[in-house]
This record gives sequence, structure tokens and C-alpha cells, in this order.
Amino acid sequence: MRRLAGAPLAIAGSLILVSLFLNLVPGDPVEMMLGEQAPSVDREALRRSVGLDRPWYGQLWLFIRELATGNLRSSLPPFQRKILPQIWAALPNTLLLTFAAMAVAILIAIPLGVAAASRKGTAVDHAAMGIAVAGVALPRFWLGPMLIILFAIKLDWLPVSGADSPRNLILPSVTLGTALAAFLSRITRASMLDTLREEYVTVSRAKGLSPSAVLWKHAFRNALLPIITVLGLEFGALLGGAIVTEKVFAWPGMGTLLLTGIEKRDYNLVRAVVLVFTLSYVAINGLTDLVYTAVDPRVRRQ
Amino acid sequence: MAGAVPRADGPVFFLRVRGGRIRRRADGGADDARGCRAEAEAQTARQESRRAQAGSEEGGGEEGARARREEEEREEIEEGGVSSKRAQVGAESNPEREESLIEEKERATRQALKLFSAGRRGIALLTFCAFFAGCHSEHNRTGIVVLIESPPDSLDNRFALTASGQRIAELISPGLVTFDAKSRPVPDLALDYQFLDPQTLEFTLRDHLTFHDGTPLTSDDVKATFDGLMDRALGSPKADKLEPVDRIEAPGPSRVVFHLKRPYAPILAELVLPIVPRSRAFAAAAPAQDRAPIGAGPFRFSAQPDEEHIVLTPFEGYYGGKPRIRRLLIRTVRDETTRVLELLKGRADLVIGAVSPPIFPALHAGVRGDLRTDEPRLRILWEPGSAYAYLGLNSRSGPLSDLRVRRAICHALDVQPILKAKFRGLAQPATGMLPPGHWAYSETPGCRRDLALATQLLAEAGYSTARGEREGLKEAPPGRAKRTLHLTLKTSTDRFRKSIALVFQEQLAEAGIEVELRSLEYGTFFNDVRKGNFELFSALWSSGSVIEPDILRWVFSSANIPGPENAFAGLNRTGYRNRRLDELLDRATRVGQDERKVLYAQALALIDSDLPYIPLWHESSPAIVSSRLQDFEPSPQGYLRPLARAREAAP
Repeated sequence: MRRLAGAPLAIAGSLILVSLFLNLVPGDPVEMMLGEQAPSVDREALRRSVGLDRPWYGQLWLFIRELATGNLRSSLPPFQRKILPQIWAALPNTLLLTFAAMAVAILIAIPLGVAAASRKGTAVDHAAMGIAVAGVALPRFWLGPMLIILFAIKLDWLPVSGADSPRNLILPSVTLGTALAAFLSRITRASMLDTLREEYVTVSRAKGLSPSAVLWKHAFRNALLPIITVLGLEFGALLGGAIVTEKVFAWPGMGTLLLTGIEKRDYNLVRAVVLVFTLSYVAINGLTDLVYTAVDPRVRRQ
Repeated sequence: MAGAVPRADGPVFFLRVRGGRIRRRADGGADDARGCRAEAEAQTARQESRRAQAGSEEGGGEEGARARREEEEREEIEEGGVSSKRAQVGAESNPEREESLIEEKERATRQALKLFSAGRRGIALLTFCAFFAGCHSEHNRTGIVVLIESPPDSLDNRFALTASGQRIAELISPGLVTFDAKSRPVPDLALDYQFLDPQTLEFTLRDHLTFHDGTPLTSDDVKATFDGLMDRALGSPKADKLEPVDRIEAPGPSRVVFHLKRPYAPILAELVLPIVPRSRAFAAAAPAQDRAPIGAGPFRFSAQPDEEHIVLTPFEGYYGGKPRIRRLLIRTVRDETTRVLELLKGRADLVIGAVSPPIFPALHAGVRGDLRTDEPRLRILWEPGSAYAYLGLNSRSGPLSDLRVRRAICHALDVQPILKAKFRGLAQPATGMLPPGHWAYSETPGCRRDLALATQLLAEAGYSTARGEREGLKEAPPGRAKRTLHLTLKTSTDRFRKSIALVFQEQLAEAGIEVELRSLEYGTFFNDVRKGNFELFSALWSSGSVIEPDILRWVFSSANIPGPENAFAGLNRTGYRNRRLDELLDRATRVGQDERKVLYAQALALIDSDLPYIPLWHESSPAIVSSRLQDFEPSPQGYLRPLARAREAAP
């Protein structure tokens, strides 16, 4: 419950910070829109028409009011398109991408981490951790095009970019998930090494349980908590990484929307996207707590 | 190569990228193969040295590391293209063709090997892909796919201010006139036009014009369109350009007369504004026209499923005949690398001006063509362009208010190596704002690289240079301390532009001018330039801006210096003042085309001797066209409109 109380604070904080930063960045929606094309247009009138003549807190208040009435509009004159439909269109795409990336990360990281821990010090361990280091080191804007070249151009198996079919999801989620997979596999390994040292593992071995039963049923389930914590925390990093990944794969998600907003200095759009990012971060943290209780009876009892 | 600047109405050049280099198969230019090869090799060498240079200069710090990573990234993408270091020029003659076939095989083997090792590394990924199964490609699509960099701001040309918006809007709703390759206004929906007197302009419309909704387009629609535009309530940012128009009359169904408040020749250029049905002409219908525009153009708006996709279909009622393209999909792909990869994949058919020349070698695989038919899958077509790259010099105060210093900078620069190595010939040296193909162009002397002269000019202005001391030139006047000239050059963060700025820095250093580079995020950069907060800046007037020569008045007349009175929107950002020029440019708006040409020639000569701008080059908007799109003739302005006459190849 205390955690839930922190949520409004986080949201208010992020909105205020974003508004302040937008205020500091030179150029405004009207200037960016007109560019060099219309030197004789009355810029002040255009600014007034979208509320840009107000100070930043006035603009923020306007944003909150419009949001509350469900009539949030862009800061770009003259049409001031509605923002919420754009977000509803983009949000599912981004969530799909982040969860797919998480799935990729889990599918790669857990077998890798467990294998490394159970064969500590062997070639398997070194190889797995080598892959992990490489995964962290690869930047997404590089990995993305490389995967496209290999799987979409040379092998001709997958589409390059866009979001027209389920197959479009594969490359971006691999790109986005790789870094997390690498990080996660190290955590899995460390956590597994800890639990494998515990006495109950020795006991269950002594009972004559099969090695795999010991590994997965007893050790791994106990090693899960830190893994879940990291997954929850890393969700934010995934959202951030999604911006780059979405650009490379022309994926119509929140990252693309945010880039458009920043390019055009569409203040309201940027605020709205950041708000959604904050909300999803808070939501995921709440979800992590729920998963804790499901996984660990000790947390349930408290 | 760049010396022979082809006229705008000359043949369309046909480019092929081979082994990472461009060979120009010019219909007129008789490059002999050996010379071309030698030049190509020299070019590579120069480019490599420049690359190394760029690496070392950007070295150090986070910034440098990123730049290097990005460099590596590009290197990798070019992998297929530049694997062969030998210049491989053309495949016209037989021996060369055999050679190329052998090379082809070699390369295939190399690639297979590379693939194999990459495959082993990525076994986990392969398994993952196999898991999803059904990994196959669909190539049997219909329609033409055009990739653009950013989504259009509006599909209504009364509001569209971005290049992408304007170009798509021109397909849907053209205006009375358009521009030809020499940037002259030519009739579009109009059949003809004439000035009855300097203040009266009469248009005759084409017969049987129809809007997409089936209603006929008559002079009433034209009148309504312009009445609507001039009505404040519509709020079009382009309405101010129509200020000289007094009223519009429609004396007959196909006759429209514009009455001007005063003689104003540039008005023709504003009549590219789209003609819309009278029901869509006023403010109440503006949102409808913005979402689902109706016009009389070659393509009809069909759908915009999301921000990234626009679907257009050919319009059978277009005056030029129904376009031979079954469906036009315009798709936004923000990442340049991804645009190139989509082209290579064969999922895109046209990209205009949205791939920068340094990336062209990466297109090699597509341009190399199908081995069986020898027809390239991708072609690069271009016309000498009109976009104008320049260095802006702040002539309000500081060292650059001294003409000698401006001249010195001009003589210290040499654009030729940049044109060859960076643009691969896709830009032509500029002597002034108007390109050589422009109807109002006149040649001005410009300045050639002359380091001795530059040093001498600097010495006269009171700056010391190492070179000047060596040659014993006279030093700073008595009473003033010796000093070297130190300037700041502002650019945008664009990687390509930054790499060019590095060359400028190097060249100016050779003349003893220290230049500090500052690359700024676009909004910040633009803001600094508007507010006069710069010494030197490098920028580009887009091809859409350099059409009507009246742009010279906007950019160089002292009436347009940014200031509080014009909300810092004036375009004369260098703060240049010359009363004679002001008069010339004002007079040129009031007279007929022949006299304008004379006045603009005088104006260009004045600007050339005062150097508020240092002219650099005119950039083309190369069109990368797939073999699925035939008969596409690019325009110097980079329009999409030639799609109306292009043809979709049968599958």
C-alpha cells in the first residue's frame, strides 16, 4: 500500500521535470513547425492559439485539465490533433515489443545462467558468461541493422521493418532483449551459485533426487527472487531501449511517438508519452510485488 | 567531372554503384574508362584518409567513442559493397564482364563463408527463428512503395510546411501552376496564363477538370480556394504570401482573373497553392481536407491507417491520364540505414533525397543487378539539384564584419574535394544562390582557393598567420597586438554535415584561421542562427526554397534582418545591409521576366562581391528507384510528382 502511495508522487515529479526541460530547450512548436517557410506569419497569434504564451506551469496546468477531460490535443497549430488516439494506437505495440523482448531475455538468460552455475568454472560457464558480456556490449543501433542484414537480407527469412505481421516482431524483440538477456544470465548465475551452496540442496542431493530435480525444483525456485527483482527494475531500461529499437525497425510504438514529439517540439505529446512511460513503470513495479508474493510464501505471510 | 555542370534540361544521368564507387554512365559525358577508374581510386584514397582524419579529430571522450562506433556501424553495413577494393567499372565490354563475373563468384563465396561463421555465432537466434517457423518472404506485392523520412505534417498543401507534406500534397491536389526544371512557373491545372497588365493576371483552366469526388473543377472553385486562403479564419501559414492579391474574379467557367494591389511578379510562384473544391475551401471544412484531402491531382487519397502509412490510388479523371501505378503506399521510415535495407530487401521502390551519398556504396548489392538479366534492381537517378549549401557569416559585428576577412575565408576554402569524396559527384559547385539551370541564373566570379591571397587579406585585416610570417607579409598595424583569427562554426548534429565541417576546419587551418566546431541539436542551432548568435554557420536552403528568385530579397534585403519587429523570423540572418541591393531586389518584384533577369544578375554580382554568404554547392535530390518502377524522371527539386507519368512494372 505504501508503494501505491508513492505512485502519484512519481507521476507528478516526472511531469514537472519534463515540463521544465521542455521549457529550457530552445525552439518551440510554432517555430519548429514554420521553419524557414513562412517568414511573415504572425507567430505570437499562433502561440496564443495553443497556449504557448503561458509560463511552463500554466502550460502544464492546461495539459492536466485537457487530460482530465479526455480531450488532450497536440501543441501544434492549427489543427491540434487529438493525442489519446495516437497513444492508444502506439501503446499496445510498445507493450508487445517490451514483453516479447522480456520473453526473449528469459528464454536465453535462464538456461544460460543455470547451465553456467551448475557447471561453475568449466568451459560451459566461461562460454555462457562470454556471451553475456558480448550481449551487454552490443549497442542496439548496431545490433538491429546487423540482424536485419543477416535474417532479412542475406537469409531472406524475415521482414526488415514495420509491423504488418507477427514475423515483424522477431528481430526487434531479439535486438531489444539481448542486452537484458546478458544481464539477466549473470544474475541468474550468481543467484544460483548462492542457493546451490545452501544446506537443503545438499540434503536433497543426499536424499537421492535426480540432479535436474535438485537444480530446477529446489535450487532454481529459490534463486528466482533476485531474478524477478531485476526483471522489474530492467523494465524501465527496456522502455528506454525501445525508443532506439523502434526507430531502427520503424516500429509504430511509443518511442516513435516520443521522437516525433521531440522533433516537432510537440510539448503535449512529449508530456503524454512520458506520463505513460512513468505509469507503466509504476505498474510493473506493483506487478513485481504481486509476483513476489506468488513465488515466495515468506513475503505472503508478512 | 564536376567541372562540366550539366544543364537542368539535359539528359538524366544514370548512376551505377559498383565496388563501392559510382560510375556515371552519362549520355553526354564521355569519360574514358581508365580516367574514371583512376579517379575512383584516388577518390577512395582521399576518402579513407579523410575518414582516418575524422576519427582522430573526433577522438577522445564519449563523443569520439560514439562517433567511432557509428563509423564502424557504417563500415559493417557497407560490408557487402566495399569488400572488393578494386575499382570495378561498368560491365559494358566483354573482358570486363568476365572479370566481373569472376569477382561476383569470389564475393559470393566470401559472403557464404562470412554467413557461415555468423550463423554459428547466432545459433541461439537461428533456433529462435525456427521456433517461430514460417519464415519466408512475400515478393508478390502490387503497387509502389515510397519511403519518406518523417511523417507529413499535413496532406493539405495550404498547411503543409514540411517537404514530405508538400510533395505528397502535390500528388493529391495540384495548383494552377507548377515549376519546370528551370524553376520557371508553368501551367498545371491551368492551360495558360498571361499578365493583361502588370497588375492583372489571367488564367485559362484546362477543359474537363474533375475533382476526386467527381465534381467538375471550375473557376468558381479556384476563386473559392483563394478567397478561403485570404480569409483569416482559415489560418493558413501561407496566406501572407497572397497579401499583394486584391481580389479574384471568375468571369467564365474556365477563366480566372487575379487583380493585384501593385505590380508583383513573384505572385506566380504562390499560385502553386492547391485548388480544392469550393465546399472544402473555407475554415469549417479545413479539418476534413487535412484528414482526407480532395483535389484534382493524379492520385486520390485512399487511407491513412496510422501515422506511418498513407495509401493513394490512381485517379482516372486526372487531366494527364490515369497514372500507371496500381497503388501508392507512402511509408515513414525514420532510420536511414533501415531505408537502405528496405530498398535492398526489395520492399521499397522509391526514395528521394532521403539517403545521403556516403551510404550509396551500401546499395551496391541492389545496384549490381540480377546476374541473369543484368538489370539492376536499384537505380540511382538524378538531375543537377537546386538546394543551396552555404556558409553564413555574421556581418553585423566582430571579425566577420570586415569584408577582407570574409574574402580570406572564401579563398581558404576548396569545395572540390568535398564534392568528390563526400557527395560522389551528386552536388555541383555554387557561385551564388541560384543554380546554373535556373532561369534567372547568371555567372558570378566566386572565389577560388588561393592561400597566399587569403593570408595577405588576413594580414591586411590585422591578423597574423604562421604562413604570413614566413613570407614576411606586413603585420598588424602599429598599436594593435598580433593575433590569430579565431572563429566558431556552428552546424547541426547531422553526422554527414559534421564530417564536412571538419574538412572546412582543416582547410581554414591551412590559411591560419582557427575554427572551433560546435554542432548543436537542430532546434538549438536554428534558434542561435535566428537570433544572430553565431560567427559562422553552415546550412542549406532546401530545393523547395530556391525556386522563385525573390528568395534573394527574403534572404539578403536589409528589410528582412531578424529582429523584434518581425519576431526574429526575417531570413536575412547574417545581418547584411546594402541599400543598392535592396533597391534592385525590390524593383525585380515589379517588372517582367526579361527585366527581372537583368536585375537579378546585378544583384547576384553585388552579393558575390560583398559575401554575406560563402556559396558552397548545389545538392541534388537523388532518387533511388527499384526496377518495379519504370519511366520515373526525377526533377531537380526532388518532387514526387513525376510518379504521375511513371509506370509500375508488371510482376
